[in-house]
Amino acid sequence: MKWWRYVVAMELRKLLAYRSDFWITFLGQTLIQLLVARALWQMIFATQSVSVMQGFTLEMMTLYYLIVPIGMKILTGENIGFLAREIYDGTFTRYLLYPLSVFQYKTITYLTYSFFYTTQLLILYSIFRIFISEAPYTMTDMGNLLAGMALFMMAAMAYGMMALMIEMVSLWADNIWSLMVMLRFFTSFFGGGFVPLTFLPQWAQDALVWTPFPYLVSLPARTIMGLTTFEEVARGSVIIGVWILVFMEIVKLIWKRGQYKYTGVGI
Amino acid sequence: MKRYLRLYLHFLRFSFSKAMEFRLDFTFRILMDIIYYVVNILFFKVLYLHTPLLAGWTEAQMMIFIASYILVDALSMTVFSSNMWWLPFHINKGELDYHLIRPVSPLFFLSLKDFSANSFMNLLIAVGIFIYSLATYQLEYSVGDVFLLIGLIINGTLIYYCCQMLMILPVFWTQSSKGFMDLFYSMGLAMERPDRIFKGWLRVVFTVFLPFSLIASFPARLFIEKFDWPTFLHLMGVSLGLWVVMLFIWRKGLRAYSSASS
Repeated sequence: MKWWRYVVAMELRKLLAYRSDFWITFLGQTLIQLLVARALWQMIFATQSVSVMQGFTLEMMTLYYLIVPIGMKILTGENIGFLAREIYDGTFTRYLLYPLSVFQYKTITYLTYSFFYTTQLLILYSIFRIFISEAPYTMTDMGNLLAGMALFMMAAMAYGMMALMIEMVSLWADNIWSLMVMLRFFTSFFGGGFVPLTFLPQWAQDALVWTPFPYLVSLPARTIMGLTTFEEVARGSVIIGVWILVFMEIVKLIWKRGQYKYTGVGI
Repeated sequence: MKRYLRLYLHFLRFSFSKAMEFRLDFTFRILMDIIYYVVNILFFKVLYLHTPLLAGWTEAQMMIFIASYILVDALSMTVFSSNMWWLPFHINKGELDYHLIRPVSPLFFLSLKDFSANSFMNLLIAVGIFIYSLATYQLEYSVGDVFLLIGLIINGTLIYYCCQMLMILPVFWTQSSKGFMDLFYSMGLAMERPDRIFKGWLRVVFTVFLPFSLIASFPARLFIEKFDWPTFLHLMGVSLGLWVVMLFIWRKGLRAYSSASS
């Protein structure tokens, strides 16, 4: 398994090949989403003349929308969609010839991006807490940050498996890009990317508890902000862990059925 | 003009027959856009559970705004999106050569040749949402108001196209447009929010330089609130300015284009 180090190094080089692109994407996307979300919530807080809504102050809301876009980057990475394209154009064949597991290779490339964006989260969050936030940056906050980062990595694993399940549909279908976009919509809305889940009606929050979605964005983000209890984090970790195992089994099953559909020359 | 119309009809015929070859993808794409519409409507429904007014609008008024930007999105996805997706690749690989030597405007050809037939089905759904939002709107409005709104939504689609082009055209110099395109999709969020939430310099950016707020929010404002000339003239002035800037950069880009492996 020593090859994984070379894969990680190669993927990082690829990620940073177009540096201007990289920084425009990272800073631009994060800041724009943050500014638009803050403007919206500032208006809502002002209209309601309140300082706290569903447990969130405006500053907490700002922090939440700083974490969420980076969280979504951690989940969606850069490499998702490539497997489907490789199946489509026939270049998937090379993985069948390489002396390594295609799924191990794909998981490592995907997690490389996720880990990279997690470190960006660490940097941006620390800048926010040290230079912008009025509350002091304590050891407890750093502990919460590390726990949240670990949860984001677990979430990335779960999302990566869901994405892999969808990508393998391309063994039967010609284009699955729209299915991937649907997954992103669902994750964003039911995961708390659009609005913190505490703003949803109680029945909707209860319905989501056993699905993987609240643990993909909302739980890690709220953990970083110190808004979760130990029990909540532990329960969330178990649920998402079980989902990862379920998704892995489904991926294996789809591969077992679908591998013989692959023609090697593309569709 | 007649020649361009005839050419566009050929584009339409070709796009529909191409789309029907990939039927599963055709269905998936329709489903994807429906989910996009539902998620956007749900987002505002959730917000209205916690506030009776948002940017001065009630939920019914906001529905007019939501329907407007959904319609802009559907129009843009149907007419421009596939072309915009491929344009940077054409420039990078030097494939623009084939378009430059044709006896038609390369901008016309590259912007309109690929009509998304699957998104056309969603355009029908978007029109349905638009009609529903008008039918359930309780305040008075005239047929003229509706025509004005439709005209401004079409103008909004052109603003959206110009903004997207402005993010793609740097590829003539930077070789990759990915960063700018990601930025464009992020900024698309500003189109989906009422313009009144933006204050100070952010308002100047979204109403003048990158006028995402003019795409659907200004048209909705002119329909919902009393028509006022300054807002209308601002909208028209910025639209025209944006078009001129886009054409200027397009021509500059063509001069910088160095054919194969540009």
